[in-house]
Parts: sequence; structure tokens; C-alpha cells
Amino acid sequence: MPKVGTLTRILALAIVAATVAVAAATTAGASSTKTSGTTISGAGSTFVSPLVSTWVPAVGGALGYELQYSAIGSSGGINAITGRTVDFGASDAPLSPDQFTACKGCTQIPWALAATSVMYNLPGVKNLLHMDGATLAKIFLGQVTQWDDPAIKKLNPGVNLPSTKITIAHRSDGSGTTYNFTDYLSKVSPAWKSQIGVGTSVNWPVGVGGRGSAGVSALVAQTQGSIGYADVAFALKNHFSYFAMKNLNGKYATPGAKGILAAAMSDVKPTAGTNELSIVNPPKKFPLAYPISTYTYVIVPLQSSKAPDLRKFLFWAVTHGQEAKYTAPLRFVPIPKSVLVVAEKAIAKIHS
Amino acid sequence: MSSHNLTRAALRSEGLPRRRAKNRAMEALAWLAAAVAMGLLVLVVWSVARRGWSELNLDLITKTPASGFLATGKQGLANAFAGTLVIVAVATLMALPTGILVAVYLNEFAPAAVRGAVSVALDVLNGVPAIVIGIFVYGLFVLGHGQSALAGSFALAVIMLPLVARSTMEVLALVPSSLREASLALGIPRWRTTLSVVLPQTVGGIVTGTTLAVARAAGETAPLLFTSSIVGTQLHWNPHHALQSVPVAIFELSESPDPQDHARAWAAALILLLFSLFASLGGRWLATRSRRRIATSR
Amino acid sequence: MSAAGITPDATRRPFAGRRVRFGDLALQGVAGAAAAAATGLVGLIAWKLIEGAWPSITKFGVHFVTRVAWNPVIGKEAFGAASFLFGTAVTSLIALALAAPLAIGVALFLTELAPRALRAPVTALVETLAAIPSVVIGLWGIYVLGPILRDHVEPSLHSALGFIPLFGPPSSSGSSIFTAIVVLTIMILPIVASITRELFLGVPREQKEGALALGTTRWEMVRGVMFPYARGGIAAALILGLGRAVGEAIAVTQVIGGGVFIHWNLFDTGDTLASKIAASYQGAATNLEVASLVYLALILLVFSLLANLSAQWVVRRVGRRQGIGLNRGGAG
Repeated sequence: MPKVGTLTRILALAIVAATVAVAAATTAGASSTKTSGTTISGAGSTFVSPLVSTWVPAVGGALGYELQYSAIGSSGGINAITGRTVDFGASDAPLSPDQFTACKGCTQIPWALAATSVMYNLPGVKNLLHMDGATLAKIFLGQVTQWDDPAIKKLNPGVNLPSTKITIAHRSDGSGTTYNFTDYLSKVSPAWKSQIGVGTSVNWPVGVGGRGSAGVSALVAQTQGSIGYADVAFALKNHFSYFAMKNLNGKYATPGAKGILAAAMSDVKPTAGTNELSIVNPPKKFPLAYPISTYTYVIVPLQSSKAPDLRKFLFWAVTHGQEAKYTAPLRFVPIPKSVLVVAEKAIAKIHS
Repeated sequence: MSSHNLTRAALRSEGLPRRRAKNRAMEALAWLAAAVAMGLLVLVVWSVARRGWSELNLDLITKTPASGFLATGKQGLANAFAGTLVIVAVATLMALPTGILVAVYLNEFAPAAVRGAVSVALDVLNGVPAIVIGIFVYGLFVLGHGQSALAGSFALAVIMLPLVARSTMEVLALVPSSLREASLALGIPRWRTTLSVVLPQTVGGIVTGTTLAVARAAGETAPLLFTSSIVGTQLHWNPHHALQSVPVAIFELSESPDPQDHARAWAAALILLLFSLFASLGGRWLATRSRRRIATSR
Repeated sequence: MSAAGITPDATRRPFAGRRVRFGDLALQGVAGAAAAAATGLVGLIAWKLIEGAWPSITKFGVHFVTRVAWNPVIGKEAFGAASFLFGTAVTSLIALALAAPLAIGVALFLTELAPRALRAPVTALVETLAAIPSVVIGLWGIYVLGPILRDHVEPSLHSALGFIPLFGPPSSSGSSIFTAIVVLTIMILPIVASITRELFLGVPREQKEGALALGTTRWEMVRGVMFPYARGGIAAALILGLGRAVGEAIAVTQVIGGGVFIHWNLFDTGDTLASKIAASYQGAATNLEVASLVYLALILLVFSLLANLSAQWVVRRVGRRQGIGLNRGGAG
């Protein structure tokens, strides 16, 4: 039998040694959270991912579960739970009847409440520029292309706006944030409604696409003069400026706790069956309301092998998970009592 | 270009000064092309090296990503490195024996027509884009069952198979038939001859092919995006679950707005780049060496 | 005739009268099964893709290929591949046009012009640069190349050549078709260069020296002897490079920006078949969109099959086994 060459032997030993070393290093440094070994995996909305990622260590500590969440966008989450690739899906866009059918016995539960901020990158210009729905729609339709356009100037008298070109950053993947944003644009602009419409993914007439809210944020960060939309937590994290949006009352509201809570008051009863709520562009009697607020939903199968764990986790999420220490820094608002009651009823229905 | 004209012009030294000038011009262009090409390629490597080097630290492979959106503090990509180790190892376990068997069949058993057909099929398989393979494995294994590192390994194994098979075939062809004939003449059965006499001669070539295949597989992103990308931040080794991998981690970090994420991406990219370069260089060096050795041992 | 080492047919058949050993049959069976599986894989891939794309194929038929649309909004659904085919064609063909002269130049340099001492290291450099993972090149493309193109190259090209529709207003974000073209050029370059280099090395010395002895200049020798000799192989290398560019998904999706239109301005954003799939697959909104994305993958598979088979055909037709190493294909 021919000998395997010495060099080959040394090489083989080196490879094995390196592999063992890397394996040892990664295991040695691994986080020491002791979990019972039960993994609860979920995927979907990037909108709610800031909050869910904050829950991960808390859930590990309080309940002993390892929570895994992958922010692949609301459509990805719906697909994942429909294919039972994960234990729960998360979507800001409520399921359509077809999607409910396809999911085969899923229930939709509102579990968090926040707002979509319209962020911009314009160095030297102040934060919280005024913007209204009609002008925003024109910008996203490509009809307003520069920052010193008269329409924007009219909303912001006294502000020195440069002639920089506006670059739109939108989502390239199926996104509940897009649904929320296009829902708003459709309600404030008949032109948008007829030409583009509402959806988790639409035929954007202009702009550059980014994957996930992180992708949109990255585009806004690296492009001067850009405008993008994402959950307000992303604007906070990246220190972006965002618009104060004009609501139906005529006031300019910001995507903070007050604005979101006021918007939430416009619909406090989840629709029977789907548990949907629509708080976009609330009517005049809510002067503080931020018009691009939204609930976000967790989608779980009614029948699951992990039912007791899922119930425990979801109960925790809609109660303890709404505590200020998790929600306040990210500008999420605890869900109101009326919604909590409906949510808890829905969670209790999950069975093995 | 008529060689007749060429010869005539050359023999008669027609228009020599003009031809010499043209020659100098073309040589200059070639130098320029080489400089531009090399410049571009070196630029890429140098950029990655410069940005990745300053961010390289042990935390990268010992700490997991932070969970918590606004969390700061030490974090790394331990779960990605562990995942890549597992996924590539399992993929090699799938592709290596299969590739060797395919090569053995083609070289030792197959009639010429079959050999031609399978060779074509292997070449075609080699040219299928990785993203198409990702969708294929998604439809085959992930739909209805969930993502897993095993599905990812299968996708990578499909990519590795033609490389392993081709390298093994090349070295099998180099083993002199006299060796086989001598073994058979001694009464050793075909199968034993192949396994115990012929294959051991090819170990060098197989190692080469595997090294190159591993280098390629470790850097593939697209197939893993569809099969093993829904992951958490904790460290896992179980191939039945979806595991994070280094290329997918770099891809995700590259789309993030956070400069800290970019720093980790550059560092991980440098490690991946160094690994690919060394494996590739090493593989080709081994190839030349083993080919020389087999050739001189005849 | 058997090449050295391929078992001659005489030894394949068992000796007359000798009973066939179980071990022989077992090995042949297992190995044959592996070979059959490998061969069947391509067919299985095609079948799975057709199965996945079926809802879109039945709804849109062949017109899918000519329609410019990608609208997943329920009630307005329309999908078509035309804008992505355009994007794929523009990016790959221009990248090939840029990479080919560079690669041939590098190959010529390495075989004829470079000082001896430089040849081995530079060759090794070119070979290993083919091994850079595409996600690394994409990362580089976003944060190094993109800003350079956006801030310096594109404005200059626009002001100098702006009358050509190709060089319209520069992009504002660094993500554009032009960036994707540069990225693809960098990816195809090493492959085409190393194949071409091996081809040039294979040109018989006598022919080269004969031409030089007749008094040709080096360039005339290259043009008259080396190019005709290597013509077929270079064609195959270019086709393989094209196949690689067409199939590249990750690096392209990182830098191309996305968009469903057919614009002539290279500095606009766009999408190719592969990059659209990478960007949208995970988050496809409806089942019809998923099926349409698989339809795109099917078209991509057909292209790569065509490229691969025609490259193989060119090599076979040229007749010489020049050890091109067609195993350099593949896309990331």
C-alpha cells in the first residue's frame, strides 16, 4: 500500500487542528444563557424585529425558551408560517382571505403597536421637517424630484432647502411596512391609489430597493438627499431625521408615543375573526395622531405541537413584553386593554 | 489573416518600421491591459484586507451576535463560523464519496458512450447557477419540512460534486493500466483492485479536488439563503436545524446601516477571503505536485 | 484506443468461464448508481423548476418573456421577465466586452511579455482571484466601488459623453447597472484570463518560433499563429465567462438597486434575472409571485445550459483536447 505523503499528513493534521480550534473557541465564548432547550422559532416582519430581538434574552431568562427570530419581511413570515417552516410568523400586513385559507387554520393576533417613520438624509437641514400626504405621494410617484420644490417649501416656510435631488429608498422584498406606507398613500392620494395601490410589494415608479428595513436604512444612510420609510426604531438607531406628518386635523404629528397612542384610539375593536385593526390616517377628532401608525400581528397555527410553549410565550409577549423597559426606547406603545383582551382570548385557543 | 501574406511580408521585410511600431503599440496595450486587470483585482483584495484587518479580533469567532436592537457591547459571529463548519463538513461527507464513485464508474466500468454522456452532464451541472440550485433544493427539501443545515449541505454538495468527480477522474486516468493489469493477473478481484490498488494512488488528486471544492462551497451564499437562513443569534451545532453561515452573515451585514455591522462584515470577509485563497492556492499546488509525482513514478 | 489509465475494454469483461464476483457487481452497481444520480440531477432540477413555475407558466405562457411588469398588488397582478432579461443581457454582455480584451491582454502578458520571474506569482494571483467569494466582491462593490463610481466616475462620464443615452444622469446612491457591470467584469476576468493563458501555453513552440524565424514581429506572430490556434478555446472561454456573469446573483443584487423597467441609462438602477430572484424570493408576497420567480429561475437555467453546452460544443468541434479545464464554470 503506498504511503500517504508526509506533507499530506501534516496538512491533514493542520486542518483537523484548525477545525477543532475554531470549534472550541466558538463554544467556549458562547453566551451562557441557560435555556431549557425548547426553541421557539419565528420569522417575518422587520418592523417588529427591534422589539422581538429585545425580548430574546428576556424570554430566555423568564421562561427558559430560546427565541429565534429572523427578520425576512412580512411576506416572508407569512410564507414561512404557511409552510410551517417556523413556529410563528410576524406580519404588519393583515392576512388576506386567500392567505388565511392557504395558512390552513391560522390565527392572527395583534401583539405590538408602533409607527412607520418617513426618514430622510439631508445634512445641514433640521429634523422634523413638515410633510403632508399629498406631497409625499407626489414625491414617491416621481413628480416632485428636488428638495427645493415649491410644494415642500410651502410646507416649511423659513427653512433653507437645498436643491439636492431626492432619491427614494423603498423595500425590494414583501414588506408589511410597505403595506402600511402604501395604505397611507392610497388614502391621501387618489393618484397613488389608482396608479400604484396598496400592497406588501408594489410597482415602485422610482427609487432604489433595499432588503428589509435594515436595507432601506442603509440606503438612506449612504445617499444624500434620500427619503425612505421604516419602523421608527430604525430611524432612532441610525440617528436619522424624519418628517412630522400632517394629519387630518391639520396638525403635524411625530411618530412618538403620543402620536401612536392617539392614532390607536381611532380603532380599538379588532375585527371579529381576523382580529384586524386599521389606524392609518385617523379622522379629524384625533389631533395628536400620527397618521402612519400600525398594529403588527403574530400569526400562529391554531393547532401546533408546541402549543403550551407558544401560549406561554405569546401571553408573555402581550403582557410583560409590552412593559416600558422593552417598548419605550424603541417607540413601541403597549397595546390597549381592549386589544389585549381579544389577543388573550385568541392565544387561549391554541391547542395541541 | 492570411499566412501567405504574413510570410511574404516577413520575408521581404516589407514596411518594417511601420510593423515594428505596430508591434510596440500592441505590446504596450498588452502591458496596459495586464496592469488594469491586475490593478483591479489587487485593489479588491487590498481593500478587503485593509478594512478587515483593523476589525479582526478574537471576539469575532468567540462571541455571538447581540440580541436586542439597541444593544451595544462585544459581539461576534461565532454562530456563523460554527454553522459554516458544520454545513461544509456535512456537504463534503455527501459529495466526496459520491464524486469518487462517479469517477470510478466513469473510468473503470463505463463504456465510452456512457462516459461521454455523464461527462457532459457533470459539466452542465457545474455550470448551473448556484441560485438555481438553491431554489431547487428549497422546492425539494425545505417546502413543507422547514429549513435545515442538512438541506443547505445538500445544495452545497450538488455544487461540489462535479469538482470532486472531475479531479478524481483526472488522477484516475493518470494511474497506469499496467498497475491494474498486474493486480488482476495476481487474481485480485476487480473491486478489490479498484479500491485497494488504484484508488490509493489517487489520494493526492482527491485531496486537491476536495480542497478546491471546499473552497468554493464555503463561499457560496445563494443556496444557503433559501435553505438555512432563518436563524437566531445563539450558537448551535445541530445540522437538523437551520444554522447561520459566514457568507449569509456577511450578506446580511452588508445591507445593514450600522457601521459596526460593516466592521464585522469586513473582518469576516477577510477571513473568508484568506480561507478561499489559501485553499485554492494550496489545492492547485497539491495538484501540480501530485501530477508530477505520478508522472515520474511511471 | 484507450488513454493511459482508462481501463481497456479487455479487462472490463470478466474472463470467460469465471463467475462474476459479487464484489465486482456491487461496486459497479453502487458506482453506477452514483453516476446515474449525478446525470439525473440536471433533469431533476429542471423538473422541479417547471413544477414550481407551473402556476405562472399556465397563467402567462410564453408572453411572460416579453412583458415588462412585476406587480404583486392583489388585483393588479402582472409578472413578466422582459426587464430582467434586458438587465441580464446588458450587464453580462458589456461586462464580457470589457473583460475579454483585458483577459486576453493578461494572458498574452503572462505567456509572452512578462519577465520570467514575474510569471509564476502573477499567474498564481490570477488563478486564486477566481476563488474570491461573490459576497465579498459584493461587499466591496457597495462600500468601495459604489461611492467611487457615484462621486467621480459617473459624473465625469456624464459630462464628457452625456449625449449618448447610455451615460445619462449619474446615480445618487452608488447602486446602478454600471456598478454591476464593473463587478461582473472583475468576476469574469480571472476565469477567462486563466483559460486563455493555458490555451496560449498550448500553442506549439515550433509554429511560434517558425513565424518569428521568418521575420514577423511578435505581434504579427500572435495575430497569425496564436490567435488562430486558440480561437476556438477563447470562444469557449468567453461563453463560459458569459454563463458565469448571467448566473451571478449575490454580488449583483448587492449593487444593482432593483427596478422593473427598461432604461438605456447605465447609471440607473435595474435588475437581472438572478438578482431579482435573490432579492425577492424570501419575501414574495403571493403564490403567483413565487411561481413567477421560479419561472425566472427556469429561464436562467435554460440560459446557463445553452451557454455551457455551446461552450462544450465549441471545444469539441475545435477537436483538440487542450486541457481547458471546463471545470472553471459555475456562478455564485
